[in-house]
Amino acid sequence: MALVDINFADELEQFGAPKTLECFHCGTCAAICPLIDQHFPRQMIRYAQIGAKDRILERGAELWRCLHCGLCTQTCPREADPGEVILALRRYVLHHWRSSDHV
Amino acid sequence: MENRAEASARNDQTARVGVYICHCGGNISDHVDVESLADKAEHLPGVAAVRRNMFMCSDPGQAMILEDLQKGVVDRVVVASCSPSLHETTFRRVLERAGVNPYMYEHANIREQVSWVHHGDAATQKALTLIAAATAKARLLQPLDPLRVEARQHVTVIGAGMAGMRAALDLADRGFSVACIEKTPWVGGRAAALDRVAPTGEAASDLILSLARRIMQHPSITFYPCARLVGFDGYVGNFSLDVEIVPPEVPNDEELRRAHEAWTAKEPVFVPSRGALIAPVPSTPQRFRLETGAVVLATGFRPYVPKHGEYGYGVYREVLTLPQFIEALRDTAPQKGSTLTIDGRPIRSMAMIHCVGSRQIPGLHEEGPSGHLNEYCSRTCCAATLFAAAQVRERFPQTHVFDFYRDIRTYGRGQEEIYQHAAKNKVLFFRFEPENPPQVQPFDGPGGFPLTVSVQDTLTFGEEVHVPVDLVVLAVGMEPSDIGDLVHLMKLPVGADRFLLEVHPKLRPVEMATTGILLAGTCQAPMDIGECCNAASAAASKAAVLLSKGFVTLDPFVAEVDAQKCEGTGACLEACLREGAIRWVEGQRNGQTVRHAEVVAALCLGCGACVAVCPTGAIQVKGSTLAQFEAMVEAIAAEVAA
Ligand code: SF4
Ligand code: SF4
Ligand code: SF4
Ligand code: SF4
Repeated sequence: MALVDINFADELEQFGAPKTLECFHCGTCAAICPLIDQHFPRQMIRYAQIGAKDRILERGAELWRCLHCGLCTQTCPREADPGEVILALRRYVLHHWRSSDHV
Repeated sequence: MENRAEASARNDQTARVGVYICHCGGNISDHVDVESLADKAEHLPGVAAVRRNMFMCSDPGQAMILEDLQKGVVDRVVVASCSPSLHETTFRRVLERAGVNPYMYEHANIREQVSWVHHGDAATQKALTLIAAATAKARLLQPLDPLRVEARQHVTVIGAGMAGMRAALDLADRGFSVACIEKTPWVGGRAAALDRVAPTGEAASDLILSLARRIMQHPSITFYPCARLVGFDGYVGNFSLDVEIVPPEVPNDEELRRAHEAWTAKEPVFVPSRGALIAPVPSTPQRFRLETGAVVLATGFRPYVPKHGEYGYGVYREVLTLPQFIEALRDTAPQKGSTLTIDGRPIRSMAMIHCVGSRQIPGLHEEGPSGHLNEYCSRTCCAATLFAAAQVRERFPQTHVFDFYRDIRTYGRGQEEIYQHAAKNKVLFFRFEPENPPQVQPFDGPGGFPLTVSVQDTLTFGEEVHVPVDLVVLAVGMEPSDIGDLVHLMKLPVGADRFLLEVHPKLRPVEMATTGILLAGTCQAPMDIGECCNAASAAASKAAVLLSKGFVTLDPFVAEVDAQKCEGTGACLEACLREGAIRWVEGQRNGQTVRHAEVVAALCLGCGACVAVCPTGAIQVKGSTLAQFEAMVEAIAAEVAA
């Protein structure tokens, strides 16, 4: 169960991803991503959209498997910049770790 | 009654029947041995030529028949192929092109009635029997003249919404006199409740007003407000409609009273959600008759009303339908700011739910009070919902919009952009399966939101998510208007979805089975305003084509009385199903004045009820005489015996 946090997308904008909400979940990015099967990066984008911070932090390590090859961003029909969302989420996770004294 | 001897005596010994057997690709020839069929058909009495073709309805197939007729090899035609409803007229036209009377034609259905239901020898044998019967009848065919009846240059349009207005104007511009009857005092229909119209963003009121003005000014259009059809009679070109006018109680209706006061003969008065007033409101009840050539139905739709408790509707005041929300949004127009306010309550977050009352599934959704489910897609709600969502996001950027859908299809030109636009404006989507629809419940979490929408979201990998909201908007579908009275009065065919049913969705898309009654707009199916206007223009063109020659031709398959044989028993008159189709006339026989029956061809249904009861065999339906039937039966009996 997740309670949608309607402000998270705005928060993520400050970490460099202004278009998170423009993704409409066609799955093209997940299909083209050469590195990670499952639903990456779409799943992370979805968690970002609904503000499921717990899920993002739990799976934070996955974010570092992305090589930023840019294929997803190139193919996204919505120009939702999925690659940028992944980078922004990394920054968010780092920030969270820092502010929660993890590092 | 005519006896057998008489029937066979009348067999035309000179008739030269051409039999044309179709393979229909393999549709027929896979099951019927068409080669042996053709060999056998050659020996049927009266047959002058037998030919086969892969596709008889194709150009080469038709050319084959044409050539035989033109060379005089045959003088009447039997085509053995699909059902007559598909291609009978196609082949009649071939006869016409050859200069032969088009009624010298008989059809044998060896596809639906044979190859699709029988196999092997039995199929070939049955095909032969049908061809033998058709040939026997063909030998007795007489040239017939199509009925020609005068057509009034007048059309009546029922309903003055967008479709009704469009049809009325198109017809009036083509030179017809038009009567437009509308049950409310207003024109504009459901469009009057809208604000801006997707995808162009024009104001609905502008669209209504521009048509309303032209209707007001058009010398050929008579508009009857507060009018209903109460009587219907006649046939294409010559319908009679009884219309009743019931004045509304103007003083009790504040908006109507004010609009009525503001009305001048020059300019329509628009009242949001009601429509445009283009004529004075009638003050006395009235009943009159309209004589008209064709009728265009433009009776429109009504929005689905959710059941009590459906997504919280009727239980929580924060749950509205999309039409209610569009009105509320329109009425907040001057308010510009960051948060939408409705009823004094700030809307920080709102949910929109698609497919409410549309695409209902038997066993899953609850039936309406009438026991019906709306299994169809209402087509317009996706675009309307997303259009409204994007407007909210643009005008009130602090208001978050969450969109819950089963599927989204913003079909049509310029409409996919609406979806793009909503996404660009950060509308957030959730997708649910019909068996797990969103639940609307009171919310007691942080933020003081009154409601929460919970859904098993397939976009979040089936996780259950909860969205706290201040408002829930239900994208309700369309249902046909309540026109039971018209359906009954005009005997209109209604589809399983309760919308009015055209003859054929592709071949005759805006026509009803009764020639001269046409369909425009959402009385036929859910449509958006653009499509309504297309349909209305199509209906107007069809009406114009029917009437413009000044007369209409009807099939001649109607009853006819042989005055010499009629003994005036009146049995036919009693049996006849159509009032006025048989009347008494005086005639001369053996120097004496006698009373005999006569058929009013234009009213006759050709049903044959009269033929069955006439004790002297004086009345016959043209194209299906008793002699012809007897010849068919004899041919069948002979085939079966052989
Ligand atoms: S940028 Fe990262 S997420 Fe995108 S396709 Fe490449 S590896 Fe996958
Ligand atoms: S390709 Fe773009 S729109 Fe499609 S799922 Fe990925 S981010 Fe979303
Ligand atoms: S005439 Fe009828 S049966 Fe023959 S090819 Fe055409 S559709 Fe098929
Ligand atoms: S064919 Fe039917 S409608 Fe015509 S006159 Fe006979 S009973 Fe009446």
